[in-house]
Amino acid sequence: MTLSVTGLSEIRAGRTILHPTSLEIEPRGRIGLVGSSGSGKSTLGHALIDDLRAQGCSVAHVPQSPDEALDPLRSMAFHWREAEVALGLVPGSADQAGLFRALRIEGGDLRKRPWGWSRGMQQRFVIAMALIGSPDLIVLDEPTSALDPIVAAATMDLLSGFPDGKDTAMILITHDLGLAARRVARLLVMQAGRVVEEGRTADILDRPQTSAARALSAHRNWIALPC
Amino acid sequence: MLTVTDLVVKRGARATLDGISLSVPAAGTLAVVGESGAGKSTLIAAILGLLKPATGVITWNGAPVRAARPALVMQEPRAAFNPALSLRRSVMEPIAAQGITLAEGRLERLCAGLELPLDLLDRRPAQVSIGQAQRAGILRALIAAPPLVLFDEPLSALDAVTQKHTARLIAEVQAEEGFAALIVTHDLGYAVAHGDRIMVLKDGQVEETADAQTFALSPRSPYCRALRDAAISLGALGAAA
Repeated sequence: MTLSVTGLSEIRAGRTILHPTSLEIEPRGRIGLVGSSGSGKSTLGHALIDDLRAQGCSVAHVPQSPDEALDPLRSMAFHWREAEVALGLVPGSADQAGLFRALRIEGGDLRKRPWGWSRGMQQRFVIAMALIGSPDLIVLDEPTSALDPIVAAATMDLLSGFPDGKDTAMILITHDLGLAARRVARLLVMQAGRVVEEGRTADILDRPQTSAARALSAHRNWIALPC
Repeated sequence: MLTVTDLVVKRGARATLDGISLSVPAAGTLAVVGESGAGKSTLIAAILGLLKPATGVITWNGAPVRAARPALVMQEPRAAFNPALSLRRSVMEPIAAQGITLAEGRLERLCAGLELPLDLLDRRPAQVSIGQAQRAGILRALIAAPPLVLFDEPLSALDAVTQKHTARLIAEVQAEEGFAALIVTHDLGYAVAHGDRIMVLKDGQVEETADAQTFALSPRSPYCRALRDAAISLGALGAAA
């Protein structure tokens, strides 16, 4: 089923932080939402999630900070069980061991509360919760910001490969075009609360049309290796 | 020149830094990379004299490092500032504490380079974004023209474009004023682009130290190769064409 939202907007303190935006997401689509800080990426992500959930779609969300996803007073086991129950699964039926192994957090103690885990492990735990079941859409907001490069690369590979044989679409929100470049087929470039450019990833990387896309494209790597 | 010889730092019985030696010449940049818990921030604390090494010698031109009045850019941008003071008060503190006069136009020029509007400095840390607080931290470190600057993840809270602008500003000021820089980062792309040399720490030991270009093209150990390949996979380093 193609997911579709129309006319999403957001006003905060009298200022329009998201101008009316419409979006269609194909099953298994891989979309990158890129732009500098404050361009409205996360705001669009939140508005999109609220709207799709109101339409009855199942949407998993990996927020930028694990603090937004985890209750400091509850154990990790409680969070996991709650995620399973919310998806209508029998507690304990999700492939927790497999997901934990793939995300390299199998050593985490589930009896502990979030603050008993490192930031990077918390973030991967939240990603694991999002991968339970088969939601229509997973929205990932800067999923690698708290991770070491080797773990971050492995996590992005896992996410790009997911889901096998499912129709789950994915939106990757990031300020880093380099990160998105190899992971998504289509890019939406945001600036000042609007989507200013949209197209195939390769096209935007090679022929950016707007100043926002040009800046992101020009700064996507630190350095290109001469080999 | 900053010189560290056979530094060992222990926490209880465990060595968090185990036999580290390094040197950073004036106007030179050493980038220290490695995973969380590798000992990167501990190294900075030891150089500043904030913790006492078990063994090892740390000097700046043969004298204790503290005498050189090194500057530090701290990792947590908001926590690095006194919440009750305006950013301006905190930023000007090195000037006041050292009793020096600020060259005319220096503050304005640094602010312009860091893309920090001047009136923003009249706000308190909680009233600016994390990225703005991080750039104010860099401003505070550079304001008194120190001979040695230690950067602990200086760009972590900035977006990809601002990161590159800020890194360029730091490099420009360094080229003019010739401070020695030690940059702790987990971003190998930044380390390769702006470090003269790269030191990889793993479990408190030096895994490899190499010239930045040499490192990027042919890292020697398997761990360093994995680190380099991860940086390519994440788009921090441009892939080989």
